[in-house]
Amino acid sequence: MSLAEERTQTGDDSRLAQSAAHVKRNRRAYLLIAPAAVFLVAVVGYPILETFRLSLYRSPADSTIETFVGLQHYVDIFNSDIFYRLLWQTGRWVAVGVAGKTLLGLLIAVHLKGDIRGRKFFRTAFLIPWGIPYAISAVVFRWIEHPQFGYLNAILLKLGVIEQGIGILGNPDIAWLGVVVADIWIGTPFMAIIFLAGLQSIPQDLYEAAAIDGAERWHQFRYITLPQLKSVILMATLLSTIWTFVSFDVIWTMTGGGPISTTATLVIHIYQVGLQNGNLGLGAAYSVIGFLLLLLFAVVYLRVYTRGGEEL
Amino acid sequence: MWAQLVAMMRENTTEEASGQTLDRRRLLQALGAGGMIAVAGCTGGGDGSESGSDGEGSGESGDDTQSVQLLTMGVGDNIKQFFEENNAAFESEYDVDVEFTSVTWDNARQTVNNRVDGGQAPDVSRWPARWIPQLVGKDALEPVDDLMDGEFGEKFAEGVANGTMYNGSHYGVPWAASNKCLYYNKDAFEAAGLDPETPALDTWEDMLAAAKALTESDEVNIPALGLAGADAIETGSQYYHYHWSHGADLVDDEGMPVVNSDGAVEALSFYTDLHLEHGVTQSSPLSSTRQDIRQLFENGDLGMVIGHVYTGLNITESQENGEVDFDYGIVQVPEGPAGRYSLFTIDTLGIFSQSEHKDVARDLIRFYFDEERRFQYSKQKGFLPVVEAVGEREYFSESKNWGPFVEAGQYARARPKLSNFSQFNDRMVQAIQEALADQKSPQKALNDAQSDLEDAMN
Repeated sequence: MSLAEERTQTGDDSRLAQSAAHVKRNRRAYLLIAPAAVFLVAVVGYPILETFRLSLYRSPADSTIETFVGLQHYVDIFNSDIFYRLLWQTGRWVAVGVAGKTLLGLLIAVHLKGDIRGRKFFRTAFLIPWGIPYAISAVVFRWIEHPQFGYLNAILLKLGVIEQGIGILGNPDIAWLGVVVADIWIGTPFMAIIFLAGLQSIPQDLYEAAAIDGAERWHQFRYITLPQLKSVILMATLLSTIWTFVSFDVIWTMTGGGPISTTATLVIHIYQVGLQNGNLGLGAAYSVIGFLLLLLFAVVYLRVYTRGGEEL
Repeated sequence: MWAQLVAMMRENTTEEASGQTLDRRRLLQALGAGGMIAVAGCTGGGDGSESGSDGEGSGESGDDTQSVQLLTMGVGDNIKQFFEENNAAFESEYDVDVEFTSVTWDNARQTVNNRVDGGQAPDVSRWPARWIPQLVGKDALEPVDDLMDGEFGEKFAEGVANGTMYNGSHYGVPWAASNKCLYYNKDAFEAAGLDPETPALDTWEDMLAAAKALTESDEVNIPALGLAGADAIETGSQYYHYHWSHGADLVDDEGMPVVNSDGAVEALSFYTDLHLEHGVTQSSPLSSTRQDIRQLFENGDLGMVIGHVYTGLNITESQENGEVDFDYGIVQVPEGPAGRYSLFTIDTLGIFSQSEHKDVARDLIRFYFDEERRFQYSKQKGFLPVVEAVGEREYFSESKNWGPFVEAGQYARARPKLSNFSQFNDRMVQAIQEALADQKSPQKALNDAQSDLEDAMN
């Protein structure tokens, strides 16, 4: 055994011993979390493994027989135009949704941090959209945008801006915007509250020092607020990206993925293929791809934003 | 609280400067859990609101009283009391607990399939006849030939009874039937100078001419015609009237798609031209479900719409309550070059193979098919009577609302029984939308649909 190998062996033994000692020292803690861990494996681990397994089988809606097809579903997906259209529509939905929620959330947080009259009221009021069940908010927005019964069209007609009602959710070119507006309305309060918490943790001294040095408000925001908020923004946008990516109820309630599937995202398509049409194998394959995409995004996002040794 | 949380997050960040890899791993673990939502979303479960009621299964309740599960769909206020009273009566008469569940139609198919797949099928459930092949393919439905071939089966007209047959067996008892007619707003017709009592609405061209007259009239300020185009199953069922009456089919004798015939292209062209060329429809048909256009008509805000009998019943009730004040008429769905068709739908009441209480399930079915109960059901719910003796009652023949629908029985046509009809219909709706949005010509939209359907069904 070479010296290097011997050192490695010694190092491994040492680490094993440390691990064993750690487990022994914290045995009680491990025992206490064991039931939760078992539960987690049962309700999270099993469905995930089952999804991976299912993606390798063909299981039509009108049969109980599953046929092993290997990676055929994946081949079909990557060879279909639908997949790339879904990728584009999902990316558009997530990018615009998260950007909208982040910018509006930041704007609201900055203003709520200031010494404005009725601050407590506004802080509570801005939380309301987040507290309403998503499906209900979606129904409200669907009615607001309804071409015949909606407030939006009623107001525009009253003002003489339009001559007949516009069916935003029925227009293949703009329907997704009609849905994304609802999603931004729902998701902005969460971002605002997170950013507000982050803003309140920034030491006031920094602003005072900058003011003495003659920094204007924009420069204070640019060079103090944003850098200090970086880790909070990173975390919030990551969570928002995941939630927006897997968001189902808003789109489904407002448009069902239409018209002509222009508001369908990967998650909507998974539901349609797997559960509505009963093709569980293909739906599972789409699910696996969606999961891997999210994982890839998270890794790349973290690498880019923590480049240079910065921590979260 | 959030401030403290974020401050803690920031403190941990600076304290663990040497633990970058570990931080990432922890975060990725958390992300993984979030991302799994997308993965886990496909492993069944479905509608959470349903799962709670799925768990019990059928069986004996604690006090040894036998129980039977009855699942149905779309129980609104107009029929809720009917089920409550009759379930209670059955419980009392048979000493059996009825576990009654109602789901929305949007969730119906998924709910039943989830319960079947999970081994928790109800004992008895309502189920559209066109979806029977899908459940039969899973061996989920129990043949009820013993009921339908005996004295009980003689209650039904032959055509109705045959609607529950698949592969030579009855897989349910006819529970409800519906068909369509064309409603028109008499006040609007009169204002536009059209004959409100015997309007010329015999053919599609007649309907178009009337719609143009309504649209061009300065005295009428409501859209002339309701056109369904939203991404919903009913868009297909509204359109098929045009499709069939132009000599087009959906599938051939072998069950293969034939949706792009010349007749089909003519039909879809006519359908889309109503909006794109003639402009006689409500604005934005692509946003409108069948329910939207029905609601517009029931409010007096639409000139014509193809609808069920309950549209008339709803308007009559609103008139009695003083909520609307307009008169309406009902005529047959217009005729096309190849005839006249009224979409006919039969729902069945079926027994599931997994049921351990098939005898009680049969008792429940016999109970609900008492003639008086069937009369009350049809009258309150607004579905065509499936029991012949009920249909012969004067109430139906003398009613302004029911008469045209009874007459429309001769034009009845059902959608094909396909195991993947939902997928088939979705693709047809997409073609309709593509043509209505002027993204594709009717020919191209139907050719693409034909190609996709062939791939899906091969």
